Amino acid sequence: MSVLEVEDLSIHFGGIKALQGVNLRAGEWEIVGIIGPNGAGKTTLFNCITGFYSPTAGSVRYRDKDVTRLPVHERTALGMGRTFQNVGLVKNASVSENLATAQHLQVSYDPWAGIAGAPSTFAEERRVAERSELILHLLDLADVAGERVADLPYGVLKRVEIATVLATDPDVLLLDEPGSGMGPEEAHALGDTLLSLRKEFGLTIVMIDHHVPLVTRVSDYVYCLNFGEVLAEGGPDEVRRHPEVVRAYLGEEPEEVLAG
Amino acid sequence: MILQTLNELGIALVTGTLQGSVYALVALGIVLVHRASGVFNFAQAEFGTTGLFAAYTALTLWGWSYPVAFVFGLAVAVAMGLLTERLVIHPLRNASRVTLLVGTAGVALAAVGFQFWQFNDTLIMTMPKINDGFFLVPPFGAPVTVQQLITFGVLVVASVGLALYFRSPSGLAIQAAQQEPTAAELVGISVRRVSMLTWGIAALLGGLAGILSGPNTTFTAGFLSFGAGRALLPGFMAAVLAGMRSMPGAVAGGLAVGVVEQLGSLTIVAQYVPGPREAVLFVFLLAVLLIAPKGIFVRKAALA
Amino acid sequence: MTQTPVQRPGEDGTTETAEIPAVGTHRADLGPDATTVLPPVPPGTPDDELDGDDADGLAEADEEFRPRRAGWLGRGIVWALLAWLVLAYPVNVFSPFDVGVADVDIASRAVIFAIGGLSLNVLLGYAGQISLGHQAFVGLGAFTSAFIVTNLQLSFWFAVVAAAVLGAVQAVLLGLVSLRLTGLYFALVTLAYGAFAEQTLFGISALTGGEGGKPAPRPVGFESGYSYYYLCLGFLVLVLWLDWRLTRSKAGRALAALRENPRVASSYGINVRSYILVAFAVSGIFAGIAGSLTAHHDEIIVGSSFDFRLALLFVLMTVVGGLRNRVGVVIGSAFFALLEEGAFVEIVESVVTALGFAPHFFQNVLGLPGEFVSLVLGPILLLLTLTLYPGGIGQQVAPVRGWLTGGRFDRHAGEVKEVEVTDVRA
Repeated sequence: MSVLEVEDLSIHFGGIKALQGVNLRAGEWEIVGIIGPNGAGKTTLFNCITGFYSPTAGSVRYRDKDVTRLPVHERTALGMGRTFQNVGLVKNASVSENLATAQHLQVSYDPWAGIAGAPSTFAEERRVAERSELILHLLDLADVAGERVADLPYGVLKRVEIATVLATDPDVLLLDEPGSGMGPEEAHALGDTLLSLRKEFGLTIVMIDHHVPLVTRVSDYVYCLNFGEVLAEGGPDEVRRHPEVVRAYLGEEPEEVLAG
Repeated sequence: MILQTLNELGIALVTGTLQGSVYALVALGIVLVHRASGVFNFAQAEFGTTGLFAAYTALTLWGWSYPVAFVFGLAVAVAMGLLTERLVIHPLRNASRVTLLVGTAGVALAAVGFQFWQFNDTLIMTMPKINDGFFLVPPFGAPVTVQQLITFGVLVVASVGLALYFRSPSGLAIQAAQQEPTAAELVGISVRRVSMLTWGIAALLGGLAGILSGPNTTFTAGFLSFGAGRALLPGFMAAVLAGMRSMPGAVAGGLAVGVVEQLGSLTIVAQYVPGPREAVLFVFLLAVLLIAPKGIFVRKAALA
Repeated sequence: MTQTPVQRPGEDGTTETAEIPAVGTHRADLGPDATTVLPPVPPGTPDDELDGDDADGLAEADEEFRPRRAGWLGRGIVWALLAWLVLAYPVNVFSPFDVGVADVDIASRAVIFAIGGLSLNVLLGYAGQISLGHQAFVGLGAFTSAFIVTNLQLSFWFAVVAAAVLGAVQAVLLGLVSLRLTGLYFALVTLAYGAFAEQTLFGISALTGGEGGKPAPRPVGFESGYSYYYLCLGFLVLVLWLDWRLTRSKAGRALAALRENPRVASSYGINVRSYILVAFAVSGIFAGIAGSLTAHHDEIIVGSSFDFRLALLFVLMTVVGGLRNRVGVVIGSAFFALLEEGAFVEIVESVVTALGFAPHFFQNVLGLPGEFVSLVLGPILLLLTLTLYPGGIGQQVAPVRGWLTGGRFDRHAGEVKEVEVTDVRA
């Protein structure tokens, strides 16, 4: 059974066919890469998988459960964690507050018990704070815990976002351009982080990115999207050298480009 | 019973349409401002009240002639609009739209406070009509005053005037600045000046509404006479019917709201429902917003 | 093209199997204990190493500040003064002044206003929903309480609970409407609702006593103005507690997230619609309490007291007080209450006269009759807050507050950049 299965997914916005008959699978502990030129529909695909968009046709299954019409927060509850292209964090709050908020589903007390101030809630809040601290230490972010998100540089925020998505206790991570804005060294370090996260937490990862070296290095399987359709799929090297893929990115005849 | 209700409906139709012309004027101002800066202008009705009080002062306390007092009232209303733009809208231009709403509510409050300051709240004031004539309209015998007809006429003139104005270079500049402020600046249109112009026109419309409808009733300083209490909500409802976008829609909306409001004075309604006017307006607003939030009197092209 | 689960290479090149607990089962089966296993931080790791600080570790900004003995003394005196002002002065204990019943009633009203302000603060400040008909929430609580005590002959304590519950119900109904509309249109609905409540709902004579008003006798044991003041204070403490716990628990965090960015909030697992309704409910509860207290404070209430002016006053109290700032909202509400009752004018004029200026300062110097100061001052303060001092009174008070709780006196504490209500759905 695959962790995530997208079957024949299509979505239309008015006259525009943003996605057409997309099929995608991610198996247990796999890292699946999604590449493609800008406007190919990659983020749209993520939005459909995570529930921000409702597809016109097709289905999304998580561990064999049909989640196509499930609201976003319920998908998070099932274990689908997601990051955003433009860094999805609560900008006016501090890093710790974001981490605490992201643990929303792990907090055991009823919201009304929280408002009433029942004794058990205090202990639970302490637990939340401790867990935030652990996650921050793990990602080397302890020194920015109290900082307001809006004041922090972009690169740090990318790591903070990984921390918050981990705090939601995910089973599968959907990362939208985690490497954007990074140079080659940072991207390499990110790749290390992803591999170790997979190992530590047994996560399945699906990631969109433009860093072809990064995607090639960490992915077990790659899909290339263009114009809302799957252009090619397969092992990373296979896809990278695929003539259609090269043409989609470079727009030149494949013979003129030395693959790799 | 049915006959009586039908008769009352007929009267409501006539009275409502005429009363609605006041709301239409208010709504035009609201739509104009909203298109310009996305702001819900809660002070729109107070432009009217301020203008009315100024005209009253000029006429009754200073003894000026009616036409001059009328123009003076309009001038004061416009001044208030420009001041609002200067002191509140411009400093807050980058704030959230809800903040701006609160800001215009503050302006409305300030206007009321000023009114209380100058005219203490026990003084009951009346403003003479332009013409005291009235007649009953067959077949229902609906009472119609000449003042109301004049108001309706002013509405027609104002609508036509606005329509023509927006085709002129100046009016086109306003639309350009509303739709593409950066591009407009690049071709030499001063967005700042456009903003002031918009608020000035809106205040003028509000002032007209106030000075023309004031004579229909006695008024005192405060919320009850014309401002927030009486004309603001119907004005906004008309603007909602226009999808907050369409100027002709604001006119149609104003007349429609006027008629709907009159339903509150039907005997069958007033008998059973306390505060029938407010009840009818509330239900109507809910219905429109929940069923047709983009408005009813909206040109398809305007949405494109 | 089959895909097989990947064999993960171990660190020394061999393949190892995973030891991850409970992977592969449905998330719903996992209880709250099945959290992601995190490697523990080795005990005794000094903070310096984790921080990546300078080697010398000097000049760390978070070095703890401890006031000197004189500082503690100063703070203690101010705390004592505040306690005296709130607890003793209004009821004439340890007071050089003579505080009459009328003055205590004003103080009670200030406390009730504070509860009302906190109620709107939950809606406007925490959930970003603009309500221009908030007086209707309070009014419903007032009439409910009056009806239950007068018509049903039940005790005040039952009545105040019923008022809170009905306040919540009414608020949630409006909340359901707000889910369908963007912020500005919802503001219009609340405006219409406020007028509807004042004229129609509160006009149902059978329930509300019509023009004559509805009597609302004080509860047993709290008939005197002095004891009623303490009753109101008690409820204020309750409301402050609930508000404090709200902001420190998951509901408060959920609101803070959804107010700014509902998409991110959903991805954190927050059911945005539910929590908006929670905010409405809490706001309604506070408003119901305020309403009940108002009814029994005046001992008779009429529908026309809950008019549009009161709605705007609530907005003033909350915004000028400082959105999302408990202390600011309480002070702001009390201030506007004093303003409304003319007490502010009295106090200022007595101070000014004592300093040697002409008596009746407002009337004679400014030409402004005392009663109308509130009408002019209110909007001026609002506009000042929106444009120049977005944090309102809360922001101005923040340095003092920080000092009182044992920190430095920091002039820039609590700085707020803009009165951010919300723009997300507007």
